[in-house]
Amino acid sequence: MERPSSTISRRKVLLMAIQGAAALMVGGCKNIFDQLHQNKKILPVLESAEGLNRRVQRLLTPKNALAKEFSEQEISSYFKANGNPPPLDQQYVLDGLRGWASWRLEVVGQVKKPRKFSLAQLKRISSRTQITRHDCVEGWSAIAKWKGAPLSELIKVVQPKTEARYVVFYCLDTDAQGTHFYQSIDLHDAMHPQTILAYEMNGQALPIEHGAPLRLRVETQLGYKMAKYITKIEFVTSLKEIGGGKGGYWEDLGYAWYAGI
Amino acid sequence: MVSRQYRHNLITRSTHWVNALALVILFMSGLQIFNAYPNLHWGHKSEPEEAFLTISATEEKGEIIGYLRLYNWSVNTTGFLGIQNTPAGPIPRAFPSWLTIPGFFWLAGGRRWHFFFAWLFVLNGLLYILYNAVTGNLRKFFPSRRFQLLGYNRLQKLTYVGVLVILTPLIIVSGLAMSPQLNVAFNWLPELFGGRQSARSIHFLTTFLFALFTFGHILMVAVSGIINNMRSMITGWYTQEIHVPKTAPVKVEQPPEETGLLQFKEDDKNGET
Repeated sequence: MERPSSTISRRKVLLMAIQGAAALMVGGCKNIFDQLHQNKKILPVLESAEGLNRRVQRLLTPKNALAKEFSEQEISSYFKANGNPPPLDQQYVLDGLRGWASWRLEVVGQVKKPRKFSLAQLKRISSRTQITRHDCVEGWSAIAKWKGAPLSELIKVVQPKTEARYVVFYCLDTDAQGTHFYQSIDLHDAMHPQTILAYEMNGQALPIEHGAPLRLRVETQLGYKMAKYITKIEFVTSLKEIGGGKGGYWEDLGYAWYAGI
Repeated sequence: MVSRQYRHNLITRSTHWVNALALVILFMSGLQIFNAYPNLHWGHKSEPEEAFLTISATEEKGEIIGYLRLYNWSVNTTGFLGIQNTPAGPIPRAFPSWLTIPGFFWLAGGRRWHFFFAWLFVLNGLLYILYNAVTGNLRKFFPSRRFQLLGYNRLQKLTYVGVLVILTPLIIVSGLAMSPQLNVAFNWLPELFGGRQSARSIHFLTTFLFALFTFGHILMVAVSGIINNMRSMITGWYTQEIHVPKTAPVKVEQPPEETGLLQFKEDDKNGET
């Protein structure tokens, strides 16, 4: 059967219409999605995936499963130091020169035995050395050797009360507006064998740009969870009253609290 | 003779359009995420000097240019990749704002969209596959000895099966292989690809195979009767003109002896897409 000749031109017209629609879509998409993203009803819907990620991923993780540990040869030659600039005030710099003699880690909150640790005392708790891969939320990965006190060992010393659910890390560094960095993880991640308070990197004292004298390593999560320049740890029941209420500096800006993906 | 066929069931039609939406959003939010670190590497880690692909901006003879570099081959992409021209002047940006979600530079936002629609993509895809596997509809994509009035040709079958069986699992698993938590759960996951950075690269490159498929798919839909095709994917109904010689009816009782891939001799342009 012969096709009516009008179909050809109709097809052409249709194709042109589709091209036009596509051009409009691409041109208009930016605005549509930007508006949706800033919509107070849409964003929580998108954010609901975070809880699903956390529950499903943790359900899939065998108990005490460890992150892969690498060999010395695989250590990165370059390790980008992200985040705020180091808190180079006079007290920090002078204390650093004296081997952090007056630096203390204060542990407070829902614990039976709140106390302060000097760096030497932390080193005596017990130590763990691990060569692990650090994954930045931006997309890059770097491998380094870390030595530090397992957070689970510190937890044994301070003995959290039953109502303690989260561990909050307060840091010395600030952003350009003077807002202090802070972060939090829950007790689940805090008890992981590879979650350590690191004071050494690649066999040297922790460098200033990587958070001297003490930073967190949580190998189940992305780099932005791993607070640097830690001075205080607080055990809390809820994160709502701290900072912007979302559990961390980056979280208050919109990043997910669960950074396992 | 004109035949009307009910070609696509309701589940196929609805999951098709949800999938289309999810793929567009995953693509655009994925480019937003890529923009945060517009380099690709092989292996576990990303040594800055060893990126095999970079989309960035640089200064050349006093001018800021955008470029894409693949190994030693480099191309000036100013205005599209690396440097975007805006009313406020040129800004450095790997993929331009009209290709990313959100349009402004916001990694956290891109991740929110990406992970929400990744779940939708997976659950929607599972619904499609399970329903059509149970009802036997997926058989049309695989080689068959049975006579099919409106069968897909071999190239179509190869393409659809390739997308379903290779590209889709590849893009999901390579995406999951970037998750630190799942790397702890399954140490072998990134190793499947040769390391986490390899998984990231494969995830990115597979994206463009999906884009290529989508482009080809839309093109074929357009040239083989867009109204008919669109109607069949919206209402389910497809119409076709069939030549039926009066004197010698087509015998369909016996499959042909060799390939078994007998197709009805039809106008090429009426094929399914």
